Amino acid sequence: MDVMRTRIRDGDQRAFEELFDQYARSVYNHAWRLTGDWSVAEDVVSLTFLEAWRSRERLTPDGGSLRPWLLGVATHVTRNLRRTRRRHEDVMARMPRADAVPDFADELVGQLADQERLAEVREAIGRLRAHEQDVLLLCAGAGLDYAEAAEALGIPIGTVRSRLSRARKKLELALSRRQIDGDRGTAVRPVKESTR
Amino acid sequence: MNIFPQERDLPEGRHQLLKEFVMTSLQDQPKAPRKLLRAGVLAPALGLAAAAAVALPLLFGGAPAYAVAENPDGTVTITINEAKDPEALEAELRGMGHDIVVDYLPAGKKCATRPRGENWLPKEEAPLAVFPPTIETHGFQIDPSQIKPGQTGVLEFAVNDNPEAGGVVAAIWARVSDGPVAPCDLVDGDAPLGDS
Repeated sequence: MDVMRTRIRDGDQRAFEELFDQYARSVYNHAWRLTGDWSVAEDVVSLTFLEAWRSRERLTPDGGSLRPWLLGVATHVTRNLRRTRRRHEDVMARMPRADAVPDFADELVGQLADQERLAEVREAIGRLRAHEQDVLLLCAGAGLDYAEAAEALGIPIGTVRSRLSRARKKLELALSRRQIDGDRGTAVRPVKESTR
Repeated sequence: MNIFPQERDLPEGRHQLLKEFVMTSLQDQPKAPRKLLRAGVLAPALGLAAAAAVALPLLFGGAPAYAVAENPDGTVTITINEAKDPEALEAELRGMGHDIVVDYLPAGKKCATRPRGENWLPKEEAPLAVFPPTIETHGFQIDPSQIKPGQTGVLEFAVNDNPEAGGVVAAIWARVSDGPVAPCDLVDGDAPLGDS
């Protein structure tokens, strides 16, 4: 039985603070990959931990890192942002607001060859079905392996594998078409899969 | 080149701020959904609570829509199992001598009249909702002694549209008004609970 899981399930707030310290950054970045908005990503961080606390009794006592669980909660929170905000409405009203943060395009200017290319990637990901996006962003973005992504989303490993495969093919096809259409300057590395 | 940029930290100071916000908000959150207790398990607990609790009568079994229990310290615990008949709950509280208005606000609805009052006492001055609760409860604890003669307590409950067991009410807004309070006629729209 995992000690940390047991402490969280038992409502140990000190343990929950440790959980926040350990994984807030992961949740923040995953939320950004889902939304493309750093300010919204901060909201998702708060809502994810509030939802995680609310549903802590569902956590299984055995298992590994709690990161997949939290990223799964973050995915659900982001996909149901309006409803989740309403559930925590009284709390949200007191949420400390974020300062203006450069959006993803500004952030990546120095990392990608050009903003146009980035927009193409975002657009291509945005055209995937939501459940394909979720798997892609958890595996290729957050670096979860198949089993962890399955745990995060509550789906079988085989489903993770097939969704990721479809997402990769669609993404590569969309981006290769773009290249054929004119942009031959930047090759985008195929999505890296990690397996345990 | 990866299609996702390198992960980054929350903006300076935000990690700590969000953590403090989340930790202080945990107590406001609805409890984790619980498995329904079997009748045989529930019966002794109901027997113990019967002297202090008043519940909407059950005609055909099942959980009451709400339950109100007076605690030894004069506070009152309200548990809402089904979001219906706020008038009955309000009448129950008034029957106990508490001048309190109760409204349920489903998702996508708001009170037509805002603000409902002009003279709200600050939460710090008249903490109608007891936070953190001083008793073990799955409901909301309020302190009617905060309502002085001539004042009115207002309870607004945000109702989940697709509630899970134990999660009918998403949030409570509880304040004391030192003046008249407008009725809450529900209209379509989104707005935070309460006037402040």
